[in-house]
Amino acid sequence: MRRVLLIPALALLAAAAPPKPLDPANSDDAFKMNTKQFCSLKEGEVAVHYWEGTVYSRIRGEKDRHLFNVAAMSMRQCKPYTDPVRGPGSRGVNREIVFYLDPETDQLMRTWKNPWTAEEVEIVHVHNDPVNSREPSYARDKDGKPRARFDSMVMNGYAYSGGGAALLFYDSPLAGEYQDYVGGKYQASEFLMSAAPMADLTNPKATRVQDSVFSWGRISRWMPWMKMGGRDGLLVHYMGGLRVNSFEELPAWMKTEVRANYPAYTVPPPTDDTRPNETSWTVFKKHIDAKRAAAKPAESK
Amino acid sequence: MMKHVLLAAALGLIIAAPSAARPLDPVNAEDALKIMQKSICSLNQGETVIHWWKGAMFSRVEGEKDRELFKLQGMNIRQCINLTDPQRGSGFRSVSREVMIHLDPKTGEIADKWTNPWTGEALDVIHVANDPVNMRAAMYAHGKDGKPLKAEFTVMNGRAFRSGNAPLFYRNPLGGDYQDWVGGSYHAMEMGTDFFYASDLFDSKVATPRHHSLSWSRLSGWLPWMKMGDRNGAIYTATIGGRVASIDQLPEPMRSIIRTRYPTYAAPPPLDDARANETSWEVFKKLHPAKPVEAK
Repeated sequence: MRRVLLIPALALLAAAAPPKPLDPANSDDAFKMNTKQFCSLKEGEVAVHYWEGTVYSRIRGEKDRHLFNVAAMSMRQCKPYTDPVRGPGSRGVNREIVFYLDPETDQLMRTWKNPWTAEEVEIVHVHNDPVNSREPSYARDKDGKPRARFDSMVMNGYAYSGGGAALLFYDSPLAGEYQDYVGGKYQASEFLMSAAPMADLTNPKATRVQDSVFSWGRISRWMPWMKMGGRDGLLVHYMGGLRVNSFEELPAWMKTEVRANYPAYTVPPPTDDTRPNETSWTVFKKHIDAKRAAAKPAESK
Repeated sequence: MMKHVLLAAALGLIIAAPSAARPLDPVNAEDALKIMQKSICSLNQGETVIHWWKGAMFSRVEGEKDRELFKLQGMNIRQCINLTDPQRGSGFRSVSREVMIHLDPKTGEIADKWTNPWTGEALDVIHVANDPVNMRAAMYAHGKDGKPLKAEFTVMNGRAFRSGNAPLFYRNPLGGDYQDWVGGSYHAMEMGTDFFYASDLFDSKVATPRHHSLSWSRLSGWLPWMKMGDRNGAIYTATIGGRVASIDQLPEPMRSIIRTRYPTYAAPPPLDDARANETSWEVFKKLHPAKPVEAK
């Protein structure tokens, strides 16, 4: 009974004062804004991103070579949490693909002739499933102290974020047990820069940002499938992209390829996904291990 | 399909007739020129356009974790002259000046001194102040060979964007006369993405895009003032930015630095600027004249 009375009262209140915009200086609101930018506050609302660009080599003493064009997509969803002490929380689950395309024709490539070794190698397109957050993150820490910050630079009504990088340097799953001594570590840097209208970010009714653009770069060693061994040099991915509203809005060729060869990637992983993350290096290891096992079934036992 | 075509025609008649606004066509050469000009500056000759960006610079040395060396703030101030050529159609050329300052990664204050973490040497930071940074040649609706210009943008979700790379490999002004034999060429790659709204960029009535976001990255050898000599490694930048209407809107400390250190950079070069472009390598050479050759 009490409930029934309360609802009309709230409705009146809502009519009088529309919900307040999210406040970037408030930690709980900042957390929601950050979650909205690349995901959603609503469980089951899928975040689809598309990005495209180029891959170049950098070898000391020669002009950088345009090896590939690239086009990528990711399918993400986030499960919302609330905690009496830690405030709003969220955990994202994600799958992503990067396709390597002919630099002249933009056709999807299956094999590639390595210009340095002259060997024709099979391309293993990036297909990482999953790329998840290990556990939910929250607006506040375990003691309730505000933790989340909205640290974008706001200019002319747009929030510009980025300029940092994830500097990755750890044991490569494809190298041996003595990497600190003999080298071979996984070494890469990934940087993400994005811009989105503040109106979308602070809108208390919008569960996600619809209009978000970003640029993504990666400077790494050679991809394992290039079979460059210990040769000197770097690989540079540089791409621009944006958030789209659904899988359907991706380019037609990409949808066809995903449906035919990567059907799981038409949707994100389930929100309760507990599998360990994949990287291009772990995916490649499985790929090579499977090939080796198939090549010599008799010897393996 | 047919229905769509009819609908579009009807909408075109009703909406377009009074204002004569029409979408620019990226595969029509004259329209493509307008689109490109809008993406670089403005259709209004002499309108000052200011780009800004912020981000960071990192080192890559094989075998060690990459390091964040500096935060960065940059700005480019430009204007465009409108041209026409009897053979090549409409054209434009932009002239600009550019500043990029290095900031302490911890404090965000401008960094004028830097201790090289690999050599331990204390060095003066030479911020980027390049005047001019002009288009070498004007862009026209048709190339010298008569080829029509196309404006290649990806259009999705109401946005129009494009990214591009410029791999650079040429004679290093600080190197010697035998670079093809002993190395030392200037080796860098510039990367950029520009984001617009399709309705804005392709609107024939809009001379200057109402919104433009951009991202810029660069991968190169060590900067000359880092005094890394032949040491192996590279540096790269990751930045995001956009346009502002005036110098007063630039973020600090850039806004104050322009006023105090680079006052000429508060305005673009003249429209008919014919000076040769300046790069950071050439600026360094001017600041560090070669030692005179000993008399024989």
